[in-house]
Amino acid sequence: MRLHPLTSLAAAGSTAVITTAAAYLPLSLAVIAAAAGLAAWAGTFRRLLPAAAAILVPLCLSLLVLHGLFFPEGITVLGEWGPARVTSEGLSFAVQRAAQLSAAVLALLVFSFSVSVPDLVAALSAKGVHGRFAFVLASTLTLLPAITSRLERIRQAQEARGLVIRRGILARAAAFRLQAVPLVSVLVEDAATRAAALDARGFGSTGPRTSYREVPDRPWEQMLRIVLLLAAAAAVAARLLQAGT
Amino acid sequence: MSSHSLTLPSTSPAAARKRRLLEILGALAIAGTYIYLVLNQPADITGGPGSASALIALSGFLAGAILLIVAVLPALPTSTLVLIPVALVLNIVLGQFVGSTLVPFYLDAIGTVLVAVLAGPGAGAATGALSSIVWSFFNPTVLPFAAGAALIGCLAGLAARYGLFRRFYLAPVAGFVTGIIGGVVSAPVAAFVFGGTSGVATGAIVSAFRSMGDSLLAAITKQALISDPMDKAIVFTAVAVLIYALPRRASLQFPFVRRHRVLAGKAPEQGA
Repeated sequence: MRLHPLTSLAAAGSTAVITTAAAYLPLSLAVIAAAAGLAAWAGTFRRLLPAAAAILVPLCLSLLVLHGLFFPEGITVLGEWGPARVTSEGLSFAVQRAAQLSAAVLALLVFSFSVSVPDLVAALSAKGVHGRFAFVLASTLTLLPAITSRLERIRQAQEARGLVIRRGILARAAAFRLQAVPLVSVLVEDAATRAAALDARGFGSTGPRTSYREVPDRPWEQMLRIVLLLAAAAAVAARLLQAGT
Repeated sequence: MSSHSLTLPSTSPAAARKRRLLEILGALAIAGTYIYLVLNQPADITGGPGSASALIALSGFLAGAILLIVAVLPALPTSTLVLIPVALVLNIVLGQFVGSTLVPFYLDAIGTVLVAVLAGPGAGAATGALSSIVWSFFNPTVLPFAAGAALIGCLAGLAARYGLFRRFYLAPVAGFVTGIIGGVVSAPVAAFVFGGTSGVATGAIVSAFRSMGDSLLAAITKQALISDPMDKAIVFTAVAVLIYALPRRASLQFPFVRRHRVLAGKAPEQGA
């Protein structure tokens, strides 16, 4: 059984908000484990792992270097090399922040790797979100592979005409120009054609619309969404009150 | 071309007023969040991760960006709207492409600035905010920067509106100034939500300032002041190159370009 796309979005979003608000290391680690387990269960773990690693590895490394070596507020010094001071406060700050960010990122990535984009778009328009936002979302996700392959073809064509990317900033900027100018010209032209075609089909008109695609929305999922949003709001309110006192 | 519908009623003044109100509210949310964060930062930053500031930065900036999208998106003509997905893909693809072949900058705003120059500040702001939201499908860490991206799109549109793209040497200057403002506004997000930066190279610069005893927000702001103006100057120059390489027929199809004479050269006759 598939969940309604907005239910999984609410689940991922409120998980991210609650882990950020709680700022509690065991909870962050539990969310990371749960996200990995969910991805493995849904069969998206293999695709998700490289995407998550590309984001999280530099982020965590940067945090460790930044706070592990330089944390002027730290008191307990574990080691010193010149200007760098390893403090236990800095290390624990880095580890906590890295775990918390990884939890939020993984929760959202599990959602975006498992959701069906046509269902999400249909659900958004059914909920009264402006059709234009759904158009931008769906159009971007479908254009991305098309434009990537187009850029590859332009590169091959320019290489056939003798383009060699040499070292040095000027040569690279010239190579960038040779590939970006044809790409952008053709994309702007295409967009103009698409605008005329969309207008001719009533894209700009206001008024009621019907959809070919029906996404079933069960009553218990609507209840679950409300509960999730309330939980996230409560977590934020609790954290703000705590900070206020 | 397809800017006005001939058969459908045009939008009422009440709807236009409502949109203007939403725009102002969005801008106020972003500005208010920034001022609050800067005023309240010293007590909070070492108070542990997940502090209230992270939540305030996230919710304030995100709410502002969403308000801007809601205000601007329904008012855009179709010819501009179909350009937005193209711009988002350009942000992602050219950003990665430049990252792998050119110098180590991020250059992830080329599409946003392109739309801003062709279609104006409002479209630029909406494109910047949408870019962050749609990109967060693949990389959730860009989501908190939506307000900064919207600001960069808006400033690029204003630069085009006041003719800074008419002279080739003015474009990098406008980019430099935009980078300063954008970097300063994005720094609290990096400091409070991420507790640092997302790249190892930028992290090294922040470390250098931290080792001199700066607070985290001060160190990240200084790092942003080093890398962002250069980055945006390169982006604005690249966009100027791209815009002038477009056939005039393609660039002059946008009413904003015609009305404000964004590009150098003879102004076309009205009603063409």
